[in-house]
Amino acid sequence: MSDNAESPTETQKDEPPTPQQPTEDSGTADEKKKIDVLLKAVGDTPIMKTKKWSVEKGRTVQSLSQFISRFLKMEANEQLFIYVNQSFSPSPDQEVGVLFECFGSDGKLVLHYCKSQAWG
Amino acid sequence: MADDKDVLRDVWFGRIPTCFTLYQDEITEREAEPFYLLLPRVSYLTLVTDKVKKHFLKVMKAEDVEEMWFDFEGTSLKWHYPIGLLFDLHASNTALPWSITVHFKNFPERDLLHCPSNSVIEAHFMSSIKEADALKHKSQVINDMQKKDHKQLWMGLQNDKFDQFWAMNRKLMEYPTEEGGFRYIPFRIYLTMSDRPFIQKLFRPISTDGYTHTLGDLLKEVYPVAISNDDESKHYQVVIHGIEPLLETPLQWLSEHLSHPDNFLHISVIPTPSD
Repeated sequence: MSDNAESPTETQKDEPPTPQQPTEDSGTADEKKKIDVLLKAVGDTPIMKTKKWSVEKGRTVQSLSQFISRFLKMEANEQLFIYVNQSFSPSPDQEVGVLFECFGSDGKLVLHYCKSQAWG
Repeated sequence: MADDKDVLRDVWFGRIPTCFTLYQDEITEREAEPFYLLLPRVSYLTLVTDKVKKHFLKVMKAEDVEEMWFDFEGTSLKWHYPIGLLFDLHASNTALPWSITVHFKNFPERDLLHCPSNSVIEAHFMSSIKEADALKHKSQVINDMQKKDHKQLWMGLQNDKFDQFWAMNRKLMEYPTEEGGFRYIPFRIYLTMSDRPFIQKLFRPISTDGYTHTLGDLLKEVYPVAISNDDESKHYQVVIHGIEPLLETPLQWLSEHLSHPDNFLHISVIPTPSD
């Protein structure tokens, strides 16, 4: 259920991403319901103070994008573009878990974010 | 091979006869007649339904019209999924024409993405192609193309121009001879009875010891339920572009010939209908 009338397509419990613990000690990837995401700013987009996050596999790109926008205190009319592999923009309803499986490296998914279109 | 090129054409020109009916609660000035249209399997709903919108707007007031959206038997139809996939997944064992209900109010925010213009469709389409090439060629082929080449792929789809599209798309279907195939196959397996939207994983077309993987191998690895059989009965149909390819078909061949224009193999796994 959506806990905010304005936020669309929030089908799972809105648990926020959690900052990654500095000491790495985790079970195998299959056992974890969360994946590690590294957020990188592009161009003059503000850099997030915390870059590493643990995100639930089922969370959507749109949900993560909204989280970043709120974290950066962006205006409602400002857009945020998310990129994988510095090459494509995943669909807003894409699950981060799937992106991690296909495009993760060194145990994490690197996502670039930008206020303007960076890679078309 | 001449035969294989025919497959490309058959896939591109696949059509689904569809009947669009206005939702009964929409406010009209007079009765709305249904509208019939042949939908291209490989395109997207919002790209090919301008005529549908024009038809129904004739009987409606402007203030009663918001963003158009579609449902089939209560399921909101995602415009960003290829039309053929939507049909195979939700309606393949129902009678033709495909009966779709048209809405202009109460957009289902939780189910559907908005589609304010064709440029949104173009962006989605191009992103899918880029994602596919990231899997096939580490993005090398798509990145070596110029912006006008990318545009040609989109224009080919938008204007239903098979030759224009494939003049560019053939580059995305090439691979180094010594490799035997793409790095990974871009595929998505859609299930009707599942909370997750689709299965997508890394899967090589050729194993490290040179073995050619088949459709059956893929399913066995990522969704064995699809090919498990009790006694004599087959529980599921594995459908691509409205047909059930033999499980022995090489996955590389399927990727080159039965992918959608977005370069993904969209595979539906649906329960076998009980007669």
